Amino acid sequence: MIQFSNAGKRYAGGREALVSVSLQIDKGEMAAVTGHSGAGKSTLLKLASGIDLATSGSVLVNGQNLGALRAAGLAALRRNIGLVFQDHKLLFDRSVFDNAALPLVIASHTREDTARRVRAALDKVGLLNREKSSPVTLSGGEQQRLCIARAIVNRPSILIADEPTGNLDAEYAATIMELLKSFNQVGVTVLLSTHDEQALERLPCTRIRLAGGRLANAAPAEI
Amino acid sequence: MIRAYLLAHVQAFQRAWRRMASQPASTMLSILVIGIAVTLPAGLYAFLGNIANLTRHINTDPHINIYLAVGASSEEARQIEVRLKAHPQVQAVNFISRDDALKEMKNTAHLADLLSSLDTNPLPHAFSVVPKTIDSGALEGLRKEFAAFPRVEYVLMDFEWAQKLARISRLAEHLIALITLLLSIAVIFITGNTIRLQILTQREEIEVSRLIGATYPFIRRPFLYFGVLQGCLSGMVSLLLLVVVLWWIDRQVQALTISYLLDFHIYLPTPQQSLWLLGGISLLGWLGAYFSTSFYFKHPEIA
Repeated sequence: MIQFSNAGKRYAGGREALVSVSLQIDKGEMAAVTGHSGAGKSTLLKLASGIDLATSGSVLVNGQNLGALRAAGLAALRRNIGLVFQDHKLLFDRSVFDNAALPLVIASHTREDTARRVRAALDKVGLLNREKSSPVTLSGGEQQRLCIARAIVNRPSILIADEPTGNLDAEYAATIMELLKSFNQVGVTVLLSTHDEQALERLPCTRIRLAGGRLANAAPAEI
Repeated sequence: MIRAYLLAHVQAFQRAWRRMASQPASTMLSILVIGIAVTLPAGLYAFLGNIANLTRHINTDPHINIYLAVGASSEEARQIEVRLKAHPQVQAVNFISRDDALKEMKNTAHLADLLSSLDTNPLPHAFSVVPKTIDSGALEGLRKEFAAFPRVEYVLMDFEWAQKLARISRLAEHLIALITLLLSIAVIFITGNTIRLQILTQREEIEVSRLIGATYPFIRRPFLYFGVLQGCLSGMVSLLLLVVVLWWIDRQVQALTISYLLDFHIYLPTPQQSLWLLGGISLLGWLGAYFSTSFYFKHPEIA
């Protein structure tokens, strides 16, 4: 569960990216943050994943107040959140397999356990036959899917995806959305952001609209 | 829990080793630089230790040796001992009878053969006196006074050179300590810089790892192992250099010394000293890695 209570974020220099946002995303829910660029979507997702901390109000994730956590506590929490980045943040000096394995390496899994889980994750995103390739050889959509495989390999309870379809054409975007939906269907809480409301059309999810760093309105799930 | 912890360490060590093996040239260079830097103070220490070995049996406290005439009797010696002990400037008196002196000489020096060929004991009774003063003027007065005692043949105050030697070796010790300190700091910086370059090449990996939940200790661990490993290998290089250099010096010394006067050998570092050296450099490597990673964690943008 993710809960914002009057959470705000003011960056050094005084720019207010987020102003007094209150919202709640329940366990197992799927929610999409929409709005124009600069509306505060990325900031909201950063606060939810503990990459940035709120400068006012509070953010609770799974009952833990992120502002009160120490560095090690934040790291532990983040290991339980799958993060999908718009720019993928893949490491090009290693194979597809090793990229997907990174969260397991960090969590010190054994080699066998790692291999098993990585193959399962790659299989889920349809990249199992590319495990030995370099990420450079992957297309944009494939790179995004690899990023998703890395996010889910540790079986997190929350998946947070910042503009997962940002640079993809409609067809690729649809498969990414389908993937996210399938994780949500097995109980993972999903929070994503997009500037492209069309991509959400066939997605049953809560809409969180941001404008100028403020909540415009939060519409309930539409099926 | 403990298993996971151990596994984390094993994996960190493996990562450090792989990073090292992936850049053999720069790794070798760093190891050589640190190894040579450390050889200097280590070699000086070893040399000083050898000098100290040589001079250990020399008593550097001021004392006055009084030798009686060869013909002086034990009774005459006893009377002088009483006078010496009663003297207000004297702290301790040690009587060395001519028989004891002969025995000791036969045991210690290479003169046993020579001495046993003699029919009579050529050595006199002697006293070793520890004065209460170390003032050279007062000591000179004492020397004259003792020389005037009956049956005293010769009074010797030969501790001054020994004191000078002790002073010089103390100074040398301080200088070496200073060199050691400076070079230790240098080793920390050299390691720190190696680690800094490592961090730069792995910046992306570190940043992504941080984002997806790696703790600072997790990120730091392989670098610490790297520092320790590099230090340990440098220590081995340094030990190897040390053995070669000391062996070479020993050969030069053997060519110089008149072997029956001085049995002077350069000793190689003992296993214990070698372990201290390895441990010390490893610790310095660890510190360098620790400082470097700390700096990066605090200022990731300028590391």
